[in-house]
Amino acid sequence: MNQGLDRWSVPTRISSRFAALRKSVFFAVALAAVAFVPSSRALPQAATTSPTSSAKPLAKKTAAARPVALENLSAPVKSYGSSSAPIKMEVFTDYQCPSCRNMFEETLRPLIQSDYISSGKVYLVHHDFPLPAHMYGYEAARWVNAAARVGQFQSVEAALYDNQNSWQADGSIEKYVASAVPASDFKRIQKLMVGCEYQGPASTKPASLKTGVQTSRGCALDTYIEQDRALGMKIPVQATPTYVITYKGNKLPAGSGFVSWPILKQFFDSLLNQ
Amino acid sequence: MNTLGRLLLWLTDHGYQLLLAGLIVVLCIRNAKSRRKVVRVLLVLGGLVVGAVFLAAAYGKMKPLPGLAWSWSSVKTSLAMFAIQVDSYEILPSAAANTVAHTLPYFELFLGLWLVTCVGQRFSAPLACLAICGFMIAITTAYFRGLKIDCGCGIGPPEEAGPAALLRDGLKFLLPALLVTCGAFWIRRQSGASESPAVAMASSSTATD
Repeated sequence: MNQGLDRWSVPTRISSRFAALRKSVFFAVALAAVAFVPSSRALPQAATTSPTSSAKPLAKKTAAARPVALENLSAPVKSYGSSSAPIKMEVFTDYQCPSCRNMFEETLRPLIQSDYISSGKVYLVHHDFPLPAHMYGYEAARWVNAAARVGQFQSVEAALYDNQNSWQADGSIEKYVASAVPASDFKRIQKLMVGCEYQGPASTKPASLKTGVQTSRGCALDTYIEQDRALGMKIPVQATPTYVITYKGNKLPAGSGFVSWPILKQFFDSLLNQ
Repeated sequence: MNTLGRLLLWLTDHGYQLLLAGLIVVLCIRNAKSRRKVVRVLLVLGGLVVGAVFLAAAYGKMKPLPGLAWSWSSVKTSLAMFAIQVDSYEILPSAAANTVAHTLPYFELFLGLWLVTCVGQRFSAPLACLAICGFMIAITTAYFRGLKIDCGCGIGPPEEAGPAALLRDGLKFLLPALLVTCGAFWIRRQSGASESPAVAMASSSTATD
């Protein structure tokens, strides 16, 4: 026995060391496998769907956030009340338009706060129609559309109209949007606005953003604004605010300019009393 | 009703042309008696034209909105819609605009019927001139304030308040009203002048008797 040990002592020690080394390597690999089980479980799926999707977490950490793709956006809801209401009022406005602000403050806000909307008598729909003459009108429409996507249309619309005099001077729309919504919703809005923000002072605003006819790539929200504009062109909208009232499917002649709440209310009452 | 409506609209659109042609004819006539006869005929035509303008305006404001049938409630709804148009001029307070909107169409209806009867044109025609001038002032005010609103006149398709509406109102509405006013006072004066020698002769004959 001593002879076996004596004869094989050096090779046995070497092999035992290798064995120990193998064992330690094996345990290290096993530990690593256990530690990365969640990632490893995702790997087979990622491998089957797309070769790039597995790189998404890394891409998120290392590269800047990408604009949200249009196919991932559902249409923003910019309306008040039930679509089954007998009276539908569609209003085409520009957030930088003073007349639109007056109409919102003096007429639409009382309408929204009244029981005409809550009781299902009137369905109020907002359409964007930013005018080329208003430098920040289009950008404001983008913010409102982004807010509408997260269900904060009403508060952001009110905030922009209430503070129009402030943000139209320097284009500081973001801070008023931030103050109108919870922080979590604002983060979601900011994410939707990736690729849509104007990155510079007003004097160097890109021409495409100045004209109001937006062709900037990467801002998926522009699609909804242009849809509203196309709808307005059919009426045609020649000034803001312009409103179209539909009663039981019959579209009445479009009106433009300011209308006071008592007179509008009287008209709604006469329609409902038919 | 359709025929009557078409006639009213035709008179509204082309009546001023007929009156202008008649004016040229009157100016070419040298015989005073003939001239008076032609003017009387033109006054009747002018009364119909200006009356048609006001009747068309009243009808345009009172007719039922799309989808509604003729009824008292539909007329009230149409007047409520007209109140929105008056309010959009931003000249009057809301309450005053509402009052104007609910009385003006009836006034236009009354004035139109009065003009069509050609009775008392020395009173009805100047009143028509005043009404049209007031409307043109409102349009001018809205235009210079930069308001892009529907003129709300109710005649023909909706037209934006601006120079085109002013030109149309001036040519088609105010001109015939002015011609009828001038013609009514002229014929009255001519009638008075022709009666005066007859009265003088009658009085002189009684004096000699």
